Amino acid sequence: MDIIVAQSLLEPNAGLIFYKVIVFALLLFVLGKYAWKPIVNALSEREETIDASLRKAEQALEEARQTGAKNEEARREAEENARRVLQDARTAAERVRAEELEKTRARIRQMQEQAQAEIEREKERALEELRDEVAGLAIRTAEQILEETLDADRHRKMVDRFIEQLPRN
Amino acid sequence: MALNANIRYRQIVLLLAAGCVFLGPRLAHAADEEGKLDAVAHTADGVYLDFAPFGAVELPRIFLRSDPWGLDVFPSTRSALLSERYVMEHKEDGHAEILHGEALRDAIDHHEHLYAKPKPAQGTLVLDLSITRHLVFGVLAALIVVAIFLGLARRYRRPEDRVAAPRGIFQNMFEALVIFVRDEIAKPCVGPRYREFLPFLLTAFMFILCANLMGLAPYLGAATSNVAVTFTLAAFTFVAGQRKGTKAYWTHLFWPPGVPLPVKFILAPIELVSLIAKHFALALRLFANMMSGSLLILSLIGIIFTINVLFGSLAAALVAPVGVAFTLFITFIKIAVAFIHAFVFTLLSAIFFGMALEEDEHHEEETSAEEQPALAG
Repeated sequence: MDIIVAQSLLEPNAGLIFYKVIVFALLLFVLGKYAWKPIVNALSEREETIDASLRKAEQALEEARQTGAKNEEARREAEENARRVLQDARTAAERVRAEELEKTRARIRQMQEQAQAEIEREKERALEELRDEVAGLAIRTAEQILEETLDADRHRKMVDRFIEQLPRN
Repeated sequence: MALNANIRYRQIVLLLAAGCVFLGPRLAHAADEEGKLDAVAHTADGVYLDFAPFGAVELPRIFLRSDPWGLDVFPSTRSALLSERYVMEHKEDGHAEILHGEALRDAIDHHEHLYAKPKPAQGTLVLDLSITRHLVFGVLAALIVVAIFLGLARRYRRPEDRVAAPRGIFQNMFEALVIFVRDEIAKPCVGPRYREFLPFLLTAFMFILCANLMGLAPYLGAATSNVAVTFTLAAFTFVAGQRKGTKAYWTHLFWPPGVPLPVKFILAPIELVSLIAKHFALALRLFANMMSGSLLILSLIGIIFTINVLFGSLAAALVAPVGVAFTLFITFIKIAVAFIHAFVFTLLSAIFFGMALEEDEHHEEETSAEEQPALAG
């Protein structure tokens, strides 16, 4: 009996094949129509959506990167401009200040010189006046003192000699 | 570290205990009253469902007979035999005798009728269309697959669900299987026309996987451990592939290019035999792997009973934990084997489909090149 049973392991049962064909054909049909079709379609649809989304995201990223680069460029340019303007302004201010200083200095010098000249002139005139005054004064004094001893000519000569001896300044 | 080792040790003990519980029914049913174990009988197909220790349920018998033609349906083998319209033979010492009356009842009481081949009392048996254990398991596997994947398909009904990320264990797990079959089997092996074969490959993979895993469940068995089932599956692969065979494929098969004319007549039958052998091997591979796992587990358990008979119950009690541990180990391997052979069957089917779809661009040049010397000769 064991041998008979052992044979049954390898002996295909025709009835089972008959049922199995029906069962498997039905399984193929039912699953193919109601399971695999929606599942596989949904999976590929999802994959396409994900792919499209990824591509879109990559594009957006690329665009953002470009925009960012552009912004950066603009910012750098603006900064550069500002710096240049500032530099220019500073230089101009420096120049103006220097010029102003130079001008002021020149004016001061000029004023100094004018004042000096004025002083010099005043001094000269004062000296002249003083000399004349002193001469006149001396003459009158001398006249009073020497009314009797000296005539006018001698008198004059003495005074002139005296004046000559006076310091120039 | 010590705690970890302790936990691991406990896990092993727990697994062994679980294994004992899990194998309990098999142990009980594997050994019949005399303490004998018949591994083959429990691996082979049968006309009953075994729910030991709660007994067995006989399945309906359906016979197609001729002279006169008729379809006889009985709720069980027992009723078929007791009706006296079908008889069983009892073979002893080389000659067979037909059992009647008391002898028949005695044989039925000893469950002999479950292994007998009933014959019609009148006419000849054309086809035994009885519902068998493996058919029940196969249909159950098919129903489970249908339930799972119709359930999965429902998740994609709404357009917004179709593009949303998969949610939950159920959808993630089975979607992963579907994508595995599509991306690892269908796409690389079939080629650009893989969408035509995807439904077949998916159905075959899921059915075989489910049937294989059912072989690990108590009271159930693997429908794929039956040679008739795997032959049917291989036949479906054969038909599905050859149906879509291209001109280049058929030319290659029956009029191989690039060889002298006489050799073509030798090569064509060889190619044909190889084509059939490939599908034959496909069926046998799956069947043998599934059946051997079942036989191996029952044989390992059988060692305990053999030792009980040979060396007594003490030796058997000592050997029992080893046998159970080995069985548990083989059971784990069978989980892997269940996946591997579902994969192998589907992969080879896909490769055969890919071969049937081959497009030979250099075909024309090769033909003219080999035609030249033939004409010259």
